[in-house]
Amino acid sequence: MKFADRIQKVDRRIIYVILLLAVVLPLVFRLGFKTYTTTPVEDLYRHIDAAAGKDDLAILMDFTHDPGVLPELYPMDLAILRHCFERNIKVFTISFLPQGAAIIQMALSEVKEDYPNIEANVDYCNFGFKPWSTKLPIMLGMGDDIAEAVETNSEGLKLENLPIMQNMKNYDNIQVVVEISGSSMGQFWVIYARAKFGVDVAVGLTAVMAADVYPYLQSGQFVGSLGGLKGAAEYEQLVDIFAMNGLEFSKKKARNMAWVEAQYEELPELAQLYKYNKARIGMDAQAIVHVLIIFFIILGNIGYFLDRRAQKKSM
Amino acid sequence: MKRQIPLMIVLILGLLFVAHVFIPSRLSTDYLDWFMKWTKVIGPFAIVLGVFSLVYVHYNKIKRKAPTWGYSIVTLTALVVTTAVGFIWGIQEGTPYMWIFKNFNVPLGATMFSLLAFYIASAAYKAFRARSIEATVLLVAAIIVMLGRVSIGQAITHWIPDITEWILNVPNLAAKRGIALGVGLGMTATSLKIMLGIERSYLGGKD
Repeated sequence: MKFADRIQKVDRRIIYVILLLAVVLPLVFRLGFKTYTTTPVEDLYRHIDAAAGKDDLAILMDFTHDPGVLPELYPMDLAILRHCFERNIKVFTISFLPQGAAIIQMALSEVKEDYPNIEANVDYCNFGFKPWSTKLPIMLGMGDDIAEAVETNSEGLKLENLPIMQNMKNYDNIQVVVEISGSSMGQFWVIYARAKFGVDVAVGLTAVMAADVYPYLQSGQFVGSLGGLKGAAEYEQLVDIFAMNGLEFSKKKARNMAWVEAQYEELPELAQLYKYNKARIGMDAQAIVHVLIIFFIILGNIGYFLDRRAQKKSM
Repeated sequence: MKRQIPLMIVLILGLLFVAHVFIPSRLSTDYLDWFMKWTKVIGPFAIVLGVFSLVYVHYNKIKRKAPTWGYSIVTLTALVVTTAVGFIWGIQEGTPYMWIFKNFNVPLGATMFSLLAFYIASAAYKAFRARSIEATVLLVAAIIVMLGRVSIGQAITHWIPDITEWILNVPNLAAKRGIALGVGLGMTATSLKIMLGIERSYLGGKD
């Protein structure tokens, strides 16, 4: 077999093994690459942070995703919850998928164990699973009365009786709806909740969906977005360097890599836990895999052009 | 009548919803409230239908010993066990339901999704060739975005993330908006065709 053919026809099992090593090794031996932050992530952080310490404002997190996309989306779930608990921001959680409700339980219990003062139904309220068919009535109904539209929390308690609901009435009390999903579910919130009631909407998406949201970001229909593991890593970093250090968000500082690296030196122990660094550790593996895929694409193209040149010569 | 009644329901409800959006009034708000209550009632019936359909299909596969009927046993067992533990012990953190979720559902789901990385790498290597100018543009854009979305791109030069952002914010945005407008117009046209009874395939094919 000619060289050009050989580099175009590398056995896929070899590619799989190399890829496996490229994924696993950076997860075991951390490379510690620092990520840079982008505008959609910064905008979402700033937007959520604006509700800090306010009793009549909450963020609504919609966990309409299943376990298949957890590696990309779960770090977002944890990072946003940690931001809210750290900065005393009220949180509502809901899911229109049964698996999403279980993910809410996982995420809340994982973050809550580091914040013993945070109380269910006082600082946050889990609305739990609501069947898909009730999505539209709930989205529209919350514009008038959240307690009436959602009715009960995940434990079956009437929302109207819960302490967190004392200052919450409708979308006027929702700082931002954050839809975290591997689908276009965020657009439903734009169509029904934003268009009719003007509530701000943001999304956390898998990387393959991330390119779809740019028209919505430009038009302001989404106030921010987290795209894939990179978006999650950026949010983790913002929570670490601002929320964990008790600092107000500053775009200038967030973009100054020297200042960011200096903040990493003084992080509290909590920020160094593995669960709060998952996205950034994952990004090490993703960086190596991207370079590997680019290498394979270039290799295949070198073979293709050598082959084409040989064919032209022989004609 | 079998066809005319559903067509009439679709036309009347379709017109009522259009009216609700374009003619804001007390009447249209009350109509929407009434309809939303009905929607909440209809939903659970769909779940019953779905469960019945799932059991029926897999029970028949097991009975006929159809190919891969073993998987049907797994499906039905998972359905019964998960439902039973959910009803008996609840679905809160620390219950058997959550144990099943964390130890079966999460790793199985993540495994399925992670296989994509291997297929994408293999497919990109085999098929991504600069055969034409368009393919070359796509190839160059893909390489820049792949580098720009990871820290190595930033380490090489800050231009790579900057160009990545430009690609996403300008050409990508323009193409996505064009597609979205096309889809929107297509949905409007299809909705009108359904409401006016021109498109009837949802009734089961034959006129």
